[in-house]
Amino acid sequence: MSADARILAAEPNCHLFGDNGCGFTPPSIGMFFPEPWYANIAGSTGIDLYLVLLLVAVGAVLLLWSWFSKKLSLVPGRRQSVGEMLVLFIRDQITRPTMGAKGDRFIPFLTGVFTLILAMNFTGLIPGMLPVNSNLAFPAMLAGVIYVMTLVIGIRNQGGWGYFRNQIFPPGMPKPIYVLVTPIEILSVFLIRPVTHALRLFATMFAGSLLLGVFAYGGWYMLNLTAEPLLAGVSVLFSGAALLGYLAFFLFEILIMLVQAFIFTLLAGLYLNDSLEAAH
Amino acid sequence: MLVELAAEYNILRIDWVKFTFGAIALAVVYLFVVRKAVPRIMSVLDERHDAIEGGIERAKKAEAEAEEIREQYREKLQETQREYAQELEKAKEQRAAIIAEAREEAQVEARRIVETAKAQIEADRQQAMVQLRNEIGTLSAELASRIVGETLSDSAAQSRVIDRFLDELERSEDTQQVEVR
Repeated sequence: MSADARILAAEPNCHLFGDNGCGFTPPSIGMFFPEPWYANIAGSTGIDLYLVLLLVAVGAVLLLWSWFSKKLSLVPGRRQSVGEMLVLFIRDQITRPTMGAKGDRFIPFLTGVFTLILAMNFTGLIPGMLPVNSNLAFPAMLAGVIYVMTLVIGIRNQGGWGYFRNQIFPPGMPKPIYVLVTPIEILSVFLIRPVTHALRLFATMFAGSLLLGVFAYGGWYMLNLTAEPLLAGVSVLFSGAALLGYLAFFLFEILIMLVQAFIFTLLAGLYLNDSLEAAH
Repeated sequence: MLVELAAEYNILRIDWVKFTFGAIALAVVYLFVVRKAVPRIMSVLDERHDAIEGGIERAKKAEAEAEEIREQYREKLQETQREYAQELEKAKEQRAAIIAEAREEAQVEARRIVETAKAQIEADRQQAMVQLRNEIGTLSAELASRIVGETLSDSAAQSRVIDRFLDELERSEDTQQVEVR
C-alpha cells in the first residue's frame, strides 16, 4: 500500500517535543512509488496504486458522461445543461480560438481528453491518494498520442514533405535566417514540444502532491499530545497552522488541476491546428 | 543509500505497464465518451440550434406575410379613399349641375313670368287706350258740340273728324315714344 510507504517515510512515532529525539523527515519522492502488489513484470515496477486510481478516474469519466448524455431532450434539464456547458466550453475556449470552425470535429476528442485528464488529476484530492498524472507514464502517453495525431493529420492534410516544410521553414523570413531558425524549429516542434507537453502536466501534479504532503506530514509531526501540557498546546497551535496551510493549498491545488487540464487540452488544440492547414 | 534511492525512484522513467494501461484507459474513453456521449450531446445542440433558427425563420415568414396583408389593406384603404373622393367630386359636380339647372329654370320661369306680365300690361294698356280713345272721343265730341253748338250733330261726320284727330294725335305720340325709347 502507498499509505504504508508514506507512513514509513513520515515515521509516525516521531513528533515535535518527543522524547526519542528524532527530527522531522520531509516526504520524499518515495511517496510517488507505492509498493506494487504484483512486481514480477520485466522493466516495470508492476501493478500498483496508480492503476487502481486510473481505473477510478476512467470509471468516473464514463459515469459522468453516460449521466450527462442519457435521455437528452431539445429542452435541457439541469443535468443536460451542465454536460452541454462542458462541451460548449471546450468549443468556445479551446477548439474555436485555436482552430476555428474547422476544429469542430475535434470537440469530442478534446472534451474526452480534458475530462480524462481532470479526473486523473482529481484522484489526488482523495485523502492519502495521488494524482494519476504525477507518474510520468500517463502524461507521456497522452502527449504521445497527441503528437502522433498531429503527425498523421499534418501529413494527411499537407502531404509528407509539405507538413515538415511548413513546420521547419516558417514563412516570411529573409533566407539567411533559416540557417538559424530551421534547426531551432526542428528541435522545438518535433522534440521539445511533445516532451514539454507531457512534463508540464506531470511536474505540476508531482509538485502539488509533494507540497500537500509536506503540509500533511508537518502537521502530523508537530502534533504531540503526549508532551507537557504547555508544549502540547503549542504543538496543537503549530499543527493547526499546518492544517490551515494544507486546506489553503488543497483549494489552490484544485485550481491548478483544472488549469493544467485546460492548458494541456489547449496546447493539444494548438498543435492540431498546425496540422490542419499551412500555418501563418 | 541516497544514490541507491535515486536510482530506484527515478521519477522520469516511463513505466511501460502504466503507459499501456493509460493507453487502454484513453481508448475506453475514446470509445464511450469521444465516439458516443459527446457527439450525442452535440447533435442535440445542433438540433436545438436548428429548431431555434427554424423558429426565427418561421417568425420572419409570418412577419413578411403580415406585412404583405397590411400592405394590401393599405392599398385597399387608399383605393376606397380615392373612390370616396371621386364620388364626392362627382356629387359636387352633380350638385353644381343641379343648382345651375334649377337656376336656369328659375330664370326661364322668371323671364316667362316677366313676359307674361309685360304682355298683360300691354293688353291692359291697349284696352285702356281703346277705352280712353272712346271716352276721349265722346268727351271731346261733347266738348266740341258744346263749343260749336248744333253744327256738328251729324254723328258720321263727327266720328270722322274725331278719328282723324286721334290718328294725328297717335302718330305724334308714337314718334314721341320712339324718341323716348
